[in-house]
Amino acid sequence: MNPKLAEFLAGCRDEAPLQLGVIPFGMIYGIAALAAGMPAWLAQAASAVLFAGASQLVIVQMLSAGAGLLPMALTASLLNVRHVLYSMSVAEYVRHLPRRWRLLLAYLLTDEAYAVAILRYQQTARPAPVHDSTGPATTSDPASAFSAPATAGEAAPDLRHWYFLGCGFTLWACWQLSTAAGIVFGATLPPEWDIDFAVPLTFIALLTMLTRERAGRAAALMAGLAALALAALPYKLGLVAAIVAGLFAGVWAAHRKPTRDEKP
Amino acid sequence: MSHLALLGLFVAVGIVTFLYRYSMIGLFASGKLPGWLHALCRHIAPASFAALTATALFVQGGDVVLALNAPKPWAALLAALVAWHTRNVIATIASGMLALTLLKLMLPL
Repeated sequence: MNPKLAEFLAGCRDEAPLQLGVIPFGMIYGIAALAAGMPAWLAQAASAVLFAGASQLVIVQMLSAGAGLLPMALTASLLNVRHVLYSMSVAEYVRHLPRRWRLLLAYLLTDEAYAVAILRYQQTARPAPVHDSTGPATTSDPASAFSAPATAGEAAPDLRHWYFLGCGFTLWACWQLSTAAGIVFGATLPPEWDIDFAVPLTFIALLTMLTRERAGRAAALMAGLAALALAALPYKLGLVAAIVAGLFAGVWAAHRKPTRDEKP
Repeated sequence: MSHLALLGLFVAVGIVTFLYRYSMIGLFASGKLPGWLHALCRHIAPASFAALTATALFVQGGDVVLALNAPKPWAALLAALVAWHTRNVIATIASGMLALTLLKLMLPL
């Protein structure tokens, strides 16, 4: 098999199991977007243009709550800042690629694609094509990935960006298809079912995973209370202020000295 | 809100998000991110989700409504318990939706 294709397919294969978690989100987004009053084409276009599940759900939820454009843009932009960290993390591995590759991989750089691709980059010591019978060598030092192999002979070309592309493409296709499935399915649901309630329920499920540590709990508690205290502000600007208040609470809690019964 | 305005919103946020993703790969040669940005990123998601959930449960229009016979907070409470025990998104949504449906039938509104 063409080694590029083999890398691409390996990326697709390793990304596939994560889709079990992605598909419900995509469907809920599609269903909730219709329930919030969006036409099908717009809901689908958002999945292609934005390609960021959490911020799409947040925009849908804010739209249902009657928020203005600016608070929605601010909240979604704030929520996506974490992608700078992913960008930073993969930069050393993709910086040498031609611009068209970097543009493409940047577009596909999402939470789940990053999680799988970065493992591949960090676990392979040197370019290790799939057809290499010796298998990928492992190292704890990702920086050695670009050092020339000490063994004699030609260095195998680094094709791991094809693996990254496979991860990103799988996630992208799954997100578009599950959005479409949600739109089709959502159109058949009777409006009295309160299907838009699935979005806050999704947030609750995510919150239980994000609030295992004290700082996360402090951020969530402060943001929740502040959202109620500032509910009367116009255009739901109170939501943006509440999130910022939550950030301060989280940073404060992370820096506070642990009490006796808590581990640092 | 007009559909065109919403499309503009998605395009604008899409561009911003793409620039985040492209920033360290293509825009800036190198550099380390400040520590506060890491700290900030850890707390943005819990803060955003909590603020939106609280609003969905207790805000109607611009007013905070705390009512014992409102079905959504009770359904959300049950869903939170399920989430805490199962760590399963599907189970959380299913239990919350089922609880809401049953509570709407039972609670006097």
